[in-house]
Amino acid sequence: MKGDRSKAVTLWTFVAIALVMLSAPTLVVLGASFTAGNMITFPPEGLSLKWYAEIAGATDLRDAFLRSLIVATICTAISIPTGTLAGIALAKYRVRFAAGVQVYLLLPFTVPLIGSGIGLMLIFGKWGLLGQLWPVGVACAVINLPFMIWAVTASAASLDPDLELAAANCGAPPLSTFLAVTVPAVTPGIITGALLMFILALNEFLVSLLLVDARIVTLPVQIYNSIRSIITPDLAAISVVFIAVAAIAIALLDWLVGLDIFLKSK
Amino acid sequence: MRPSRTSYPLSYPLSWRLMDALEAVAAAIWPRSFSAAVPWLMLLPAVVLVGLLVLGLWDMADGSFRTLDTATFLPSDDYSLANYDRAFSEKLFFTVASRSLIGSLIVTVVTLVFAFPYSYVMVRTRSAALRKFLLIALFLPFFIGQVVRAYGWLIILGSQGMVNEALGLVGVAPIRLLYNYPAVLFGLVQYMLPFAVLMLAPALTAIPEEMESAAGSLGANWVRTFIHVVLPLAKPGFIGAGLVVLTLSLTDFAIPAILGGGSQDFIANAIYDQFFRTSDQGMGATLALLLVAVGSIMVGVVFALFGAGTLAMGRSK
Repeated sequence: MKGDRSKAVTLWTFVAIALVMLSAPTLVVLGASFTAGNMITFPPEGLSLKWYAEIAGATDLRDAFLRSLIVATICTAISIPTGTLAGIALAKYRVRFAAGVQVYLLLPFTVPLIGSGIGLMLIFGKWGLLGQLWPVGVACAVINLPFMIWAVTASAASLDPDLELAAANCGAPPLSTFLAVTVPAVTPGIITGALLMFILALNEFLVSLLLVDARIVTLPVQIYNSIRSIITPDLAAISVVFIAVAAIAIALLDWLVGLDIFLKSK
Repeated sequence: MRPSRTSYPLSYPLSWRLMDALEAVAAAIWPRSFSAAVPWLMLLPAVVLVGLLVLGLWDMADGSFRTLDTATFLPSDDYSLANYDRAFSEKLFFTVASRSLIGSLIVTVVTLVFAFPYSYVMVRTRSAALRKFLLIALFLPFFIGQVVRAYGWLIILGSQGMVNEALGLVGVAPIRLLYNYPAVLFGLVQYMLPFAVLMLAPALTAIPEEMESAAGSLGANWVRTFIHVVLPLAKPGFIGAGLVVLTLSLTDFAIPAILGGGSQDFIANAIYDQFFRTSDQGMGATLALLLVAVGSIMVGVVFALFGAGTLAMGRSK
């Protein structure tokens, strides 16, 4: 067809720029982590793994990473049941005031993170919970809950009400029907949502910054505090941990549900 | 009625007994006659969780009416609108607010301009490998987090960073690429790109490819096909994506803090400073609440005008 070439050229120009923008920081951090010098310079002063050895011995970075893992685990453990039940309820039943409930459950998304973070900081402070790690996990579950609910409701299209009726007809009591028919139907959504929640909590920066004190900094906060002073390659090496975790999460997501799930129209 | 447990044959598996026990417990605490309330019971944990946020907002509202007593450095006991008065009259807040608003509008437009071709190619390509590559290139930065990505840009754009070193090779003196407004906007665009593409892609998937072929066979070139067929049909996606990008970039903290170096504060940074630098909790709460109001009004207006687009939860039919 005439004009196909100009269409391809135009589209690909934009895609190429977008690809560079998306990938450049990741690639540069990866490259910088292997430098042999004490500064990040270009071209690098040779290759070495010394910064990885450095971070393996740095207890503060290791502890911060562990704390981030704990926060992400708590957040995921809370949001899987909460988001799954809410998602199924919204998708399956004709709830009274459904529009109001939706607006309410969308609050964590519509309220800006700085607002949510400060609000949670105020009430956790009032209840004397600041300075502990688990409230950070709870806070991450609160602010990211809409993502979990979206993931579940998006896969609820495959939730055929007739299947549940069939199960009941075969004599399955309600709880068995729920666990054997309803939940498996939305499992792709639960997996997607759980992975999203874990990654978002692991990376959560602003709400962590507001809720932690110097003794319990999470890794993103630790990195943020460090890049404000001097940029050394050990930060690049620890950042590679995030890149690795992200890569694993993507591989898991692709293997378990397929990345194409995000392209499907509702 | 079910037979009692003792009458089970010996081969009855343990998991069945467990399920029966659970069913009995469920039936005992939640008789069938309550079944109309089941959806509400299922919604309850989520409602409670979000309730924490509502309590926090309430606390903020309370704090916003209390001014800082400069003698004791404690919030006052009596209520007044003084903080709101200051928020609207002080030049600093006006500068920060207009910088964030204009910035987020520019970021939204630029992001959508790049996100549309990206999602279009990703959705329409016939090569599964290319689609997977584009998806991975999208998810990797999305999953890495803002701080690490901003750190990458510091390395690239810093005064001794890659770009300046490369310019030095061709004899150009170092340029100050960081800690200015364009750097912050650039950082925000790249931060928002995955969000925008992921919100646009489902809307583009929903457009049948035959529509475009039909427009083509009726004599429209690809530009006209885009303008008259693809873009109008992708409107729900553009609304969702635009809204997400606008609100997230308007309220972002990390990118202005890291790439702006303290000189390009957005609203979130100003709020943070009120709490942790000047310790004026009341003023900080006022600004945060105003930001919440602006964000909610924007979302509300767009939803009211165009519907929830790709952001709706629950029943789509």
